[in-house]
Amino acid sequence: MIGFTLRAQRPPEPRRVNDDVVERFEHVLEVAPEKMTEHVQQQDIPAWDTHRIVGGRWDHLDWMHDHWADSVLSTGIEPEIAELGEPMPSEERS
Amino acid sequence: MTATATALGDGVLDELRGILGGDEYVLPDLPARVNRTRVPAPFPVHRWGEFLPDVAVLPRTTEQVSEVVKLANRHGIPIVPRAGGTGLADGAVPLRGGIVVDVKLMNRILDIDLVDRTVTVQTGINMLTLNRELKAHGVIYPDDPASYPCSIVGGRIGTSGWSLIGGRYGHTRDLVISMELVLPTGEVIEVGDGGGRKVRKSSTGFQLKHLFMGHQGTLGIATEATLELVPRPEVEFAAFFAFSDYGTAWEATGALAKSGLATLAGVVLFDEWKLAYLRRDDEAYIPQPPTVRAVIASAMYGARDEVEPASRRLMRIAKETGGKYLGDEISQGDWASRHDRYATPLHGRLKDGQVVPMCWHCEDASIPYSQLPAVREKWHAIAKRYIDRYGIFDDWGMFAYTNAAYKPWGDYLTEIDIGIWEQELDEESWRGWVQCKREIAEVALEHGGSITACHGATRAGDVELVPQEMGGGFEVMKKIKAALDPNNVMNPGKYLLDQAYEGENGREAVR
Ligand SMILES: Cc1cc2nc3c(=O)[nH]c(=O)nc-3n(C[C@H](O)[C@H](O)[C@H](O)COP(=O)(O)OP(=O)(O)OC[C@H]3O[C@@H](n4cnc5c(N)ncnc54)[C@H](O)[C@@H]3O)c2cc1C
Repeated sequence: MIGFTLRAQRPPEPRRVNDDVVERFEHVLEVAPEKMTEHVQQQDIPAWDTHRIVGGRWDHLDWMHDHWADSVLSTGIEPEIAELGEPMPSEERS
Repeated sequence: MTATATALGDGVLDELRGILGGDEYVLPDLPARVNRTRVPAPFPVHRWGEFLPDVAVLPRTTEQVSEVVKLANRHGIPIVPRAGGTGLADGAVPLRGGIVVDVKLMNRILDIDLVDRTVTVQTGINMLTLNRELKAHGVIYPDDPASYPCSIVGGRIGTSGWSLIGGRYGHTRDLVISMELVLPTGEVIEVGDGGGRKVRKSSTGFQLKHLFMGHQGTLGIATEATLELVPRPEVEFAAFFAFSDYGTAWEATGALAKSGLATLAGVVLFDEWKLAYLRRDDEAYIPQPPTVRAVIASAMYGARDEVEPASRRLMRIAKETGGKYLGDEISQGDWASRHDRYATPLHGRLKDGQVVPMCWHCEDASIPYSQLPAVREKWHAIAKRYIDRYGIFDDWGMFAYTNAAYKPWGDYLTEIDIGIWEQELDEESWRGWVQCKREIAEVALEHGGSITACHGATRAGDVELVPQEMGGGFEVMKKIKAALDPNNVMNPGKYLLDQAYEGENGREAVR
């Protein structure tokens, strides 16, 4: 059943984000497949199921906002991280 | 003097059925007991059976709780209160078997008072459920742990919990105005600041409310609570900022926390280990480039007329102290996920990067602001030593979160999160883990902190240090325990309080 559905909605090939993470759909990050081979096997998930899980998460977050306050205040300011310089050497992760 | 019963006879079970009014409220079957054994904190799974209760009961009224406690005294049976079972200090884990009093069916809202601004509930209710009801009245009960959807008012009282938005609204001890409780001998009393169920400030007598907060079920069972109501916020504002080094972010955290903005609910400082974890494994992935080595999260709640100008001031302070705004989408999305971190402890990495299922240790010390950088260095160094030695732990990073009620400066709830591959634990690695935990807690004390800001210090690796942290106060704890619980039936074995029943000190206390 899964195989059939997967064929019908096979997710796109992943784009590598870094050593540990890949991305198949925008903003949907997954553990890189080669890091899930020994102790936990990665499952094939058809595209519709990924969209369902991610959609459910967004619904939950929207619900949480609504639960805590009548509205959410936005700044309208674009993300500024591109302006950051190189990390200081002392901050290297051991 | 110590209750040690481990298996209950049919007579006791029949008595319990009589008190609780039916078979369905008395659960001696194995699944019911196994499900009420552990909590999400790292657990010696290879010794699960040692912590099984003999029976779980589901009372619906204060009178039933009182009768169960009296029965326990008559038969010398341990009693362990259990609410959501999310407490990370093992408070709800039975150490001597006995009766688990699961309070989840005591979940009624008894009184919503919009004039005196209180809500009175049975203590088995969960805050999310309560707030769904309160929404229609334009008020909330703002106790907001990161376990918000699944922890329960009784457990919040039992742990004296910490709230994400406590910098604005206070923590559990500030939000519970008074409570009804069943003492360890079965008597029912009401305690508040003084008398008066809806009185928030009184100077009459001892301040007993605080005594019955955070005792981890060792001094009785809270059955009803009268809680604070605050106006439902008109707006929420969340802003996250990136930094290229921890030191600058630490300075900025201090500047934001002492800004004096009354609507500021919390400021959180994530370090680079936490950022690395967020990049690889956390479900609240913050996909930041490697140049980002620290992030500050902040949140405000209140009336629009207050929050709007305050948010502009907050943005200005963050900019002036070197922060780069991460944008509305990440700020708002990640903040919303903070109310519910149950998804966090699912997997971690071995040193070769392979994924394994892991449970989650969350160290939760209170550390003065000035000490945060030094504590951070030491904690990561300790974690690294144990990761290298045992290979089944993973450093998930640290954060420091404003800790004081109503005024978010001074000391910080300081967490190091460590993943543990529980299925691989044996006695040696479990002992290694407990030693790691103890060393981490010792650092908190060395730096003038407290072992725990939220969860309590009842676990191995913490509890041995409680006499050191409490000093002479620990002797007072023992005297109180022996006086209120003469048969040591309430959650026996916790907080080293068996010492209250030993030797000269114990005899004096009992007398
Ligand atoms: C993902 C996650 C995030 C968390 N985040 C936070 C956080 O932000 N802040 C925080 O403070 N904690 C946090 N915790 C820890 C935990 O949720 C809290 O300690 C919570 O207060 C425990 O509530 P509970 O209902 O699960 O209680 P339980 O775990 O069932 O019990 C906790 C203690 O209270 C006692 N107890 C239970 N009911 C009663 C009663 N009626 N009367 C007297 N004693 C009683 C128990 O015996 C036990 O000692 C988190 C836990 C998880 C899993």
